[in-house]
Amino acid sequence: MKITPTRGGGLRIDAEEPGDWLLLKGIAHDAVSGDEKPARRLGQLITDEEVAADWRDYVMPDLEAGFVADVLHVTTAIAAARFEAGDGPGPLWITREDAFPWYGTLNQARLALEERFHFGGHESVDPADLLPVPRAAFLRSHLYCAIQSLLLEHAL
Amino acid sequence: MADSDTLTKTRDATALDVPWNVVVHDDPVNLMGYVTWVLMKIFGYDEKRAAGLMLQVHQLGRSIVWTGQREKAEFYVQQLQAHLLQTSLEKAA
Repeated sequence: MKITPTRGGGLRIDAEEPGDWLLLKGIAHDAVSGDEKPARRLGQLITDEEVAADWRDYVMPDLEAGFVADVLHVTTAIAAARFEAGDGPGPLWITREDAFPWYGTLNQARLALEERFHFGGHESVDPADLLPVPRAAFLRSHLYCAIQSLLLEHAL
Repeated sequence: MADSDTLTKTRDATALDVPWNVVVHDDPVNLMGYVTWVLMKIFGYDEKRAAGLMLQVHQLGRSIVWTGQREKAEFYVQQLQAHLLQTSLEKAA
C-alpha cells in the first residue's frame, strides 16, 4: 500500500494487492468494535448530574449519529474504490472535503483498539513482545495513526 | 405553592449566572497537532494559544480551554466531542 498527498489537498491511497483492501476494510470494522459507543465514552467525564442527564437525552444521540455517518462514509468510499479496482491494484482518493470523516473514523478505530488492548503511547510498545492478535491490532493502529498524520498535514 | 415556584425559578436564574469551564482531558489517541487544530477551529484561537493549551492537556492531563455561560459551554463541549476530544464541563471555582 502506498499513500501520497495530492495537489488538491487530499490523499491518494494505492492498494497494491487484495490484502490491502482487506486492511482498509478493517478500518470500519475496528471503528465499531468497541464495547462502548464513542458518544457514551466521550460523555463519561461529564459528572454534573443535571448536565449529564441532559447530555444523555439530547446530545449523545446527535453525536452518535454523526460518528455512525462518518464510518458509513468511509465504508462506502472503500467499497466503491475496491469495486472499481476489481479487488486488484487501484487507487482510493480522499479529497479535502472527505478528510474530516476519514480522520474521525480512524480516530474511532484507534479509540476502540485502545479500549480493547491498552497500548498507551506507541513509542512504549514493542510489537515483538505482543501475542499475534494484539500485535496485528497494534500494527493496524499504527497504520491508522500514520494516515491521520498525513491527513492532518495535507488535508485538514 | 406560588411562593415555592417563585423560589425555584430564582435559584435557576442564579445557577445560570455561574461561569462554567470547558475542560479538555488527555487521552492516548489524539495527535497533539490535531488537538491544536481543533482548538483553533472551534474557538478561533491563534496557533500559539491553542498549542499552549494542548501542551497543558498533554503535560497536566487536562486544561480549561474556555470559561463562560453554561449554554455556550455546552455548545463548545458538544463541538469538541464531535471532534472526538475527551471533554467535560464543570462549574468554575
